[in-house]
Amino acid sequence: MKNRQPAYQPTSRSKTVKVGAAASAAALSLLLAACGGQTTPAANAGTGEKVDGGTIRYAHLQEPACVYGGWVQQAFLSRQVLDSLVSQTEDGSIVPWLAEKWKVSEDQLTWTFTLKPGLEFTDGTPLDAQAVSDNFEFWQAGGNGTVQAHIGDYYSSSRAIDAKTLEVKLSDPFTPFLSALSQGYFGIQSPTALGTRSEAENCEAPIGSGPFTVGEWKRGQSITFNRNDAYNSAPQNAKHQGPAYVDSVVWSFIQDNTSRFGSLASGESDAIGEVPTVDFDTAKSQFDVQQYLTPGRPVTLSLNTVEGPFTDVKVRQAFAYSADRKAVVDSAFLGVVPFEGNGTVSSSTPGYNPDVAVDYPFDAAKANTLLDQAGWTERSAEGTRTKDGKELEVKIVFGLNSIVTAEGATALQNLQEQVKATGFKVTLVPATQAELFSGQFSTPDSYDAQLGYWTSPHAGILHINFRQNTEKKPNPANTTFYNNAEIEDIILKANSAKTTAEANKLYGQAQQLLSDQAVAVGLYTQTSSVASNPKLKDIWLEASQGEPVFHDAYFTE
Amino acid sequence: MSTTTLTPGKPGTNTRTSIASLLGGIPVAAVISTAVLAFFVIAALAPRLLTGADPLAIDLGAALQAPSSDHWFGTDQSGRDLYTRVVYGTRESLLIGLGATGLAIGIATVLGVTAGLGGRFADGLINRGLEVLFAFPVLLLAMLFVTIYGPSVTTQIVAVGLGTAPGYARMIRGQVLAVRNSGYVEAAHALGHSRWRVLRQHVFPNAMRPLIAVVTLGVGQSIVWASGLAFLGLGVAPPSPEWGALLDAGRMFITKAWWLEVMPGLAIVALALAATSLGRHLQTKLEGSQP
Amino acid sequence: MSILETRENGLAPGTDPASSPRRRDRHAIAGLRSLGTRLLTAAGVVWAAATFTFLIQSLLPGDRATLLLNQLNGQIQERTAAELAPINEKYGFTDPLFVQYFRFLGDLATGNLGISYQLHKPVTEVIGDQIAPTIVLTFTSLLIAWVISTLVIVGTAKRNRFFSSVASGLEALAAGLPQYWLGVILLVVFALNLGLFPVVGGTGIGGLLLPALTLGIPLAGFLGQVIRTEFESGMDQPFALTARMRGMGDTGVRLRHVLRHSVLPGITLSGWALGSLFSGAVIAESIFTRPGLGKVLVTAVNSRDLPVVCGIVILVAVIYVLANLLVDIAYTLIDPRLKKS
Repeated sequence: MKNRQPAYQPTSRSKTVKVGAAASAAALSLLLAACGGQTTPAANAGTGEKVDGGTIRYAHLQEPACVYGGWVQQAFLSRQVLDSLVSQTEDGSIVPWLAEKWKVSEDQLTWTFTLKPGLEFTDGTPLDAQAVSDNFEFWQAGGNGTVQAHIGDYYSSSRAIDAKTLEVKLSDPFTPFLSALSQGYFGIQSPTALGTRSEAENCEAPIGSGPFTVGEWKRGQSITFNRNDAYNSAPQNAKHQGPAYVDSVVWSFIQDNTSRFGSLASGESDAIGEVPTVDFDTAKSQFDVQQYLTPGRPVTLSLNTVEGPFTDVKVRQAFAYSADRKAVVDSAFLGVVPFEGNGTVSSSTPGYNPDVAVDYPFDAAKANTLLDQAGWTERSAEGTRTKDGKELEVKIVFGLNSIVTAEGATALQNLQEQVKATGFKVTLVPATQAELFSGQFSTPDSYDAQLGYWTSPHAGILHINFRQNTEKKPNPANTTFYNNAEIEDIILKANSAKTTAEANKLYGQAQQLLSDQAVAVGLYTQTSSVASNPKLKDIWLEASQGEPVFHDAYFTE
Repeated sequence: MSTTTLTPGKPGTNTRTSIASLLGGIPVAAVISTAVLAFFVIAALAPRLLTGADPLAIDLGAALQAPSSDHWFGTDQSGRDLYTRVVYGTRESLLIGLGATGLAIGIATVLGVTAGLGGRFADGLINRGLEVLFAFPVLLLAMLFVTIYGPSVTTQIVAVGLGTAPGYARMIRGQVLAVRNSGYVEAAHALGHSRWRVLRQHVFPNAMRPLIAVVTLGVGQSIVWASGLAFLGLGVAPPSPEWGALLDAGRMFITKAWWLEVMPGLAIVALALAATSLGRHLQTKLEGSQP
Repeated sequence: MSILETRENGLAPGTDPASSPRRRDRHAIAGLRSLGTRLLTAAGVVWAAATFTFLIQSLLPGDRATLLLNQLNGQIQERTAAELAPINEKYGFTDPLFVQYFRFLGDLATGNLGISYQLHKPVTEVIGDQIAPTIVLTFTSLLIAWVISTLVIVGTAKRNRFFSSVASGLEALAAGLPQYWLGVILLVVFALNLGLFPVVGGTGIGGLLLPALTLGIPLAGFLGQVIRTEFESGMDQPFALTARMRGMGDTGVRLRHVLRHSVLPGITLSGWALGSLFSGAVIAESIFTRPGLGKVLVTAVNSRDLPVVCGIVILVAVIYVLANLLVDIAYTLIDPRLKKS
């Protein structure tokens, strides 16, 4: 605690204050922005030598109802206690985790995994091929809806050939199979625990073979993860094998951004997730900051292609041309989160097509021409375009605080203001979590555009989001309601391509075609980030979804 | 409120010391309060008189600027002028305050008068109902209501209005009972005036008089309430400059741009304080002029 | 919160229609009312609150089964009937509403509040885990409000015109502070910048003061306004004069006689304030990252976790009923004249 630095740097306090009210506020402002005698633990002092044991106090944003589930917030937690079959690295390649090797048949329909020897769940159940097969069956039976979204259309059956050998049969070739398996949703649980324990127990404390076990969960406060002393199945891309260095991780939930960052600055936390954008620069100067750009679908506006003004492709394209989306995003996120022009796949996803991202630059002239062509020629007194007496009104629904952050909401407001010039009248509808999840805004009559993202370590996300939505085979994850047999065919071909390179080429084509139709307008990348005290080393963000991994982390003196 | 305040037919034993009484007859506090309220009323009715800027116009290059001579209250995360937003937000905030209070008093009058005059059965029934409403967490009522009808000025008005109605109802009932049993109403009855005439000429006006003060108090409080809903993400939809929404949006910037949180908060406090202060003044006046 | 305001306004006439003796009669009768009647009324209040909550939650738009399934998977989409069938069957969502209602009432009557849809735990357990911090917070806030308001009033009322008006102005100011705004500013100033308190409240003593002040200061403003009026008129009453004539010092008169006379409306207000403090706790718990029922309630409403919402409403109703029982008892203790009648 040698250097006494202010935790917060006021941006500017020397401007002249004119108004009476402002003057009285100035006194308060001094207290609010003042550099109090705050000591930051970010001291570079100390020998830097590794200390064994200790407890990592980590503060996270959202608290889901269960540790295991199909929501990315649950994957954050279950990653700490469950291992998956394989692990994805930063460059997109797949390395061993529970499976030490694997092979696929010539027709790409049969995958054979060989498990590491001597694996055991923390309840003593052996982690053998049968146990993994049981997990596949559990997922398929509805144990995890997101798993089903990824492989449900391809998985056929699985069986244990012997204790160490698992065979998985697919109905069609699925190139991103291993990538999908690397996600937290695919964490392998003890079949004994799944079969014999209550729903509450499996919700609160799933049993896996991971580096930690779930200890006490104080709802609304924190979960304690205790070290699994027998841990012997770290993924190949971990920094070490064997049990974790620290004794435990206290994973607390601090929703308020100011408090979360404040807890790191005051030394009450050793590391925090979701570093607030306003504090990002401060964090970078005082702490170790890592940022991860989540692959999959970026945070994007899905335009409703079956009802309302966006049924016309020209109007969709005009909307995309109407705003300087990069400026909108950079300003709202203070430059911390990158703009993503590609509305279907994010830049960190293998198979991303970068050309698509620049398809619709800010071009008011083009937008105006397109709208004129589309028949929206008249203008109302307010400047909104009209056609047959109807205003060009667009209702954008977004899940504030559950799916879209406050910064995202700011970006939308900036966008709303910018597209006014070309004649769009945007209404923003912040939806509550209950409204969203109960399906109130899932039908074509409930929105013109919807802001959302979907994490996935592979471009096969296109299959989830753009597979046709037909009566026979509904696809409710297709939030644009856009049905195009040709594009679906290309995506299916990509999913079943012989090589990843070939698959990515086809995924790129599909992105281009979707972009030509302007069905989704990209805004920004979903991110996750961690800021940690410099005395705490080797936290890393895993590559499939950006969950912090504490297995390799240790304190230094 | 004091016992004396609400006892009609008796000259108010007004011993209240207020800042007003400091300077002899000149009610300084009341004058200041009136000026503050006048400012807000102008802001609500004709915001253009107070600012030339557009509350929605963004200027991405000028985001998060501290208060200066150009931007008296600074600018927000989209470069919008905060002073302009506070001025324009007055209309919605005041609408919520007046609307919610009006709705609450409307409901409360019906319930309170019915209970006060409707005999034992109606009184008992309404009292039980009020008891239940009191036991029901008001915030929950408001939350459920906004969850059903979505966040907007109207839902805020209804949610806050419904939540605060029971308090007024109980008060009106008490007033009605008090007036009904007072000497001059008995006298009017004795003079052979019709029931309806007594009600209209004596009971109603006398029972309602203290409400004038209460309304001014309630307006500020309703705005405070609405800001609580905004905090829970149930406020008016962006980009509205409603004060509660401004407070909610400013929270995340408090360590970097304090003005975003402090200025709208001061506006709420100023309005609530001015309204309360004027309400007290009016109340004192009314006490002195009772029949 | 305005309910305080309105309740405060409602208070005097509600308990004091026409004249003081009438109020005392009423309270005396209330005090003597048989325990059975009281319990019956209390049960009625709880029943009505529970029914109300049940109806609102059941009639909310959107499908509950869809919500549960989507929440589990972090997705926002329509679901097929086949996907929803097991959930509907498990919770009986497709049964006619009255069947669900009677099942709910039956469970309630046997003290079974049901199992949380989200946490898969019995509601009694969910509430039991979280109730302590909320109770500690609400009662500490109430205590702080009383300490502040009585200190200020005993110290300033009728002593010096200047201090007295400043104090009464401050009371109005405090009463007009948005709790949420006050909380954020207290947090930033005292926890983040001055470092006097932990940023993350937790359940320790250090983490209690700021949230309790957040709720206590506005309440102190309301209490102060109510008590001050009574106190000032009490200072002119004959009994105060008599006490002085007997040679009692000014402070003694204030504390032993006038204060006692003037706290009665404040006590009534406190009974009503508990419900409002609970609403405030929702906000204070969020700002200061405190565990507690308020947070649980917000989450439960957001995820339409009906059993939890109902459980908390019933709990608050019970606490409200109990608190007002205590208020009546406090009345008779403080004002012994009530016992005689």
